[in-house]
Amino acid sequence: MASEQQLSAIKGAKVLMVGAGGIGCELLKTLALSGFKDVHIIDMDTIEVSNLNRQFLFRQSHVGQSKAKVARDAVLKFRPNISITPYHANVKDPEFNVDFFKQFNVVLNGLDNLDARRHVNRLCLAAGVPLVESGTTGFLGQVTVHIKGRTECYECQPKPAPKTYPVCTITSTPSKFVHCIVWAKDLLFAKLFGDKNQDNDLNVRASDASSSSQQSEDVFERKNEEDIEHYGRRIFDHVFGYNIELALSNEDTWKNRNRPRPIYSKDVIPVEPVSQNGNQAKNLVAGNPSSISAMASLGLKNPQDLWSLKENSAIFLEALKLFFSKREKEIGNLTFDKDDQLAVEFVTAAANIRASSFGIPLHSLFEAKGIAGNIVHAVATTNAIIAGLIVIEAIKVLQNDIKNYRMTYCLEHPSRKMLLMPVEPFEPNKSCYVCSETPLTLEINTHGSKLKDLVDKIVKAKLGMNLPLIMHGSSLLYEVGDDLEEDEVANYAANLEKVLSELPSPVIGGTILTVEDLQQELKCSINVKHREEFDEEKEPDGMVLSGWTQPLAVEKNGKGSTDNGASTSRVSETTSLVMEDDDELQIIPAQIAKKRKLSDISSAASSDASSFRNEAKFKRKAEEADNNNDVVMLDGGSSENSKKKREQ
Amino acid sequence: MAEPKTKYDRQLRIWGEQGQTALEKSSICLLNCGPTGSETLKNLVLGGVGSITVVDGSKVELGDLGNNFMVDESSVGQSKAKTVCAFLQELNDAVKAKFIEEYPEALIESNPSFFAQFTLVVATQLVEDKMMKLDKICRDANVMLIFARSYGLTGFVRISVKEHAVIESKPDHFLDDLRLNNPWPELKRFAETFDLDTADPIVHKHTPYVIILIKLAEEWARNHGGVLPSTREEKKEFKDLIKAKMIASDEENYKEAMEASFKVFAAQGISPSLQQIINDSCAEVNSLSSDFWVLVAALKEFIANEGGGEAPLEGSIPDMTSSTELYVNLQKKRSTKAEADFLVMEQRVRKILKKIGRDPDSISKATIKTFCRNARKLKVCRYSLMEDEYNSPVQLELQKYLTDEDYSTAVGFYILLRAVDRFAANYNSFPGQFDGEMDEEISRLKTTAVSLLADLGCNGSNLTEDLINEMCRYGAAELHAVAAIIGGIASQEVIKLITRQFVPMSGTFIFSGIDHKSQLLLF
Ligand SMILES: [Zn+2]
Repeated sequence: MASEQQLSAIKGAKVLMVGAGGIGCELLKTLALSGFKDVHIIDMDTIEVSNLNRQFLFRQSHVGQSKAKVARDAVLKFRPNISITPYHANVKDPEFNVDFFKQFNVVLNGLDNLDARRHVNRLCLAAGVPLVESGTTGFLGQVTVHIKGRTECYECQPKPAPKTYPVCTITSTPSKFVHCIVWAKDLLFAKLFGDKNQDNDLNVRASDASSSSQQSEDVFERKNEEDIEHYGRRIFDHVFGYNIELALSNEDTWKNRNRPRPIYSKDVIPVEPVSQNGNQAKNLVAGNPSSISAMASLGLKNPQDLWSLKENSAIFLEALKLFFSKREKEIGNLTFDKDDQLAVEFVTAAANIRASSFGIPLHSLFEAKGIAGNIVHAVATTNAIIAGLIVIEAIKVLQNDIKNYRMTYCLEHPSRKMLLMPVEPFEPNKSCYVCSETPLTLEINTHGSKLKDLVDKIVKAKLGMNLPLIMHGSSLLYEVGDDLEEDEVANYAANLEKVLSELPSPVIGGTILTVEDLQQELKCSINVKHREEFDEEKEPDGMVLSGWTQPLAVEKNGKGSTDNGASTSRVSETTSLVMEDDDELQIIPAQIAKKRKLSDISSAASSDASSFRNEAKFKRKAEEADNNNDVVMLDGGSSENSKKKREQ
Repeated sequence: MAEPKTKYDRQLRIWGEQGQTALEKSSICLLNCGPTGSETLKNLVLGGVGSITVVDGSKVELGDLGNNFMVDESSVGQSKAKTVCAFLQELNDAVKAKFIEEYPEALIESNPSFFAQFTLVVATQLVEDKMMKLDKICRDANVMLIFARSYGLTGFVRISVKEHAVIESKPDHFLDDLRLNNPWPELKRFAETFDLDTADPIVHKHTPYVIILIKLAEEWARNHGGVLPSTREEKKEFKDLIKAKMIASDEENYKEAMEASFKVFAAQGISPSLQQIINDSCAEVNSLSSDFWVLVAALKEFIANEGGGEAPLEGSIPDMTSSTELYVNLQKKRSTKAEADFLVMEQRVRKILKKIGRDPDSISKATIKTFCRNARKLKVCRYSLMEDEYNSPVQLELQKYLTDEDYSTAVGFYILLRAVDRFAANYNSFPGQFDGEMDEEISRLKTTAVSLLADLGCNGSNLTEDLINEMCRYGAAELHAVAAIIGGIASQEVIKLITRQFVPMSGTFIFSGIDHKSQLLLF
């Protein structure tokens, strides 16, 4: 029934799909059955067991293989006469440059992380290719359209930045379970099993800074011939006993806080010959490394059970032992992976022991895994709906049917009697630093911060640049790339370690820096303002970037119905519901950034499309609605107004 | 945990083990395995339902390859049910997959008792009179039923179940059960041990906001003849009162108290929707009553007696700035009260069960506990019979939709989706399905739709020509993208029904691929 014109637009189209996960599988199938003939697909991931509940092109036997390639083969088996080109690669690789993007009529995103989404947005802008963006979380989902110059780009509304925690909260004054998880995962696990050369704040700084750091470094090394049981207990006592005692000696810290309790292994699990034989036997049965489990060897079955301090301690020691006895080769190269059972067990146990020390409620492995892995709920149904909507939108884009473009939001609970909520796309944000040329302002201590801090915390983390180049006037301060001369590399490496005001071309208050990513073809200028002091709690980066947006409201410390991860069902609320397919998202503060048009929407009391993007924000709105007495009628009673406004 | 659960990890985080167990115990029957049906079932098989039975009498034709992913060239000429079933089985070997090579339309006529064996029937692409017949069969057999149909760029989904009670409705946002303006005696006494005017800055800074609000609400009421703030001015004044108690600008607990001050103004007692449930005639229980209504009957007694107008207390407590000790203490107060409420509820449940001649222990402690925790969020959904809606819809509602610009597309498609069935009954094909004269088809469809509206007592002038043309252009085609969306929505509703979590949609869901405005029509 499709019109001739429609059919030819579809048949002639060359489409790039980024992501072959939950949305990607559905999308590739729906594209194939909607008449598309030439589809390219990029995905760097391999197939995991936990994908199989929704990524229907994959089977158990495919676990470990490239998603892009298996998806292609699976679809070709059923529809042999279309062309599918897979790339088992990272979309940020340099081969996918602007010229690569230019060959496509439309780009369809089914991605799972903010970084890659921003990167693709920039390439689409640079190449002038329309982008259809999507994401799902549980029963929620969305599809948006981004056309350079016509609609807002993916970054016109600043995206909530990944949640970061002040270092001291993690290392010495945790107040929530998530702090303990971050400590266990990013500090302890990384220290024991990861790259030894990485900086690590694991050791507590004693009040006199001179305390022999050399000595404490060695604590984590297993000495030659050291009995594994002994080593485990030594680590346990060091991090949960000695370090806590050391922290307690900083009296100032505890004036306003409850004092933690040091925990020593012998007090929890008396030292006695362990019944190793039984355990050993069980472990030998499990041949493959992914099935090595401390829970299994200790006979704990249900991941949803809450373990006692004693059980957590036993798991901690057992997991450590298993790493050293069964997976010794990997030690030194491990990074935390939410699908690594033993790693999840270790982190859960360590976080719980720490929580218990600080009087924070303990959590089950299932819950801890959700928090540690930033796991987003995912189900086949939503992906199917979203993929269908993407294809309908892509067809409109190919026909240039601008007046019918819609951003569509898929809701969990009907609102205004709608399950799918269409919204006309917004115009580009004139002060967006990505799609317009608006300068940014950076407040920074130019006498204290190094160029490295600027590159890591601003250029990469905030501006999302992949291969940045930094210029001050005509002098190059920093650059990366394969084609650099050796002396250049050395020069830039030296610059990184220099304080801003001491660079060859000094960066001081009033300096205008140009930052550019040649791959993304994105260039922006930054006005530098010197500032001496930063609030360690509220501005943990020690610098503040502003310009195209107000900086995101800083999460209130100590409270946080929004970032505690108190139960797994809460995790989705702490994360930005907007964008996640699954995997790899980071904990993101719940506030959604102020948005240009948000003002008119929220003036209509309860907004639809923008507010449901974030349940936590919806809650906040609820709480603001107090003056109107209508806290209970949140389901968009008056959102009619907001919609009408937008359609004008 | 090297067990099969790993596969379901991401969805277990949505509906939990109980929800998953319910899915695994369910048996689903699919009628017609075109793209809409196949896609619906695919999502359910991935989610791990217990068993599926695919009913379809047709053979795979070349045309099916254009919109159904589960058939391929090698299956042309073979049973479609068999082919689709084999594909689905491959997706998840934990699911028992069966097929029956028979036309559902024939089965509805010849063997109505066939449907009684299933938990739920997904009926796709059926025409009106068959839907109505099946509806009655399933209603009598107490089998859940969901209709789904894709038609060009439109389609619909509609649930038909006599009654669906939800304990775990999991609303997006719900006011915490804090009882700030109505503290129970122990909480009140606990609050009395605090002095907001304490000279100790550390104590002042660590008094939980709940305590601050309870005390200030009481103070306010004392000074205002027992009445809490109600006007805008009073509410502002109340906030100022909180602010005035601050002694330092960094007192997070006082900021939290100000933000949460509206919780003080919340009405005491139960919500109107809960009131409606306990007033329902089903709450007068007898030996045939379901567990849900027995629990509601106990709840009704609880509210009238021990609860003093309130439902059992929810055990949980939101995060707040506080010293750990105080927080834990507060939490204890709450869990003690919640436990006490639960015990009273349990006693009442057992007593009622005994009275109606059932085993007093036939409802588990765990169920009663879940019920208590969710007592304020209960939902009861009821769906009219298809026949009642189709033959005598609420004329007023229909007319209202027809004249409401916001609903014109949805209600237009609703009428046209029914009109095409009448059309097909008269002319043996759907409008635009074959290469007929388009103008003639359009005018026939228009006549059919207008007379349908007249039968329903409504004026047909609100149907736009555009929509009628559009409908004829569709020619009854099932587009894959639309089928994926309709199938996605249908399977989502199936999951809500089977897990008994979340609130399934009420009314008829109409999808419009033109403006994506996809609305629920309630008749
Ligand atoms: Zn932009």
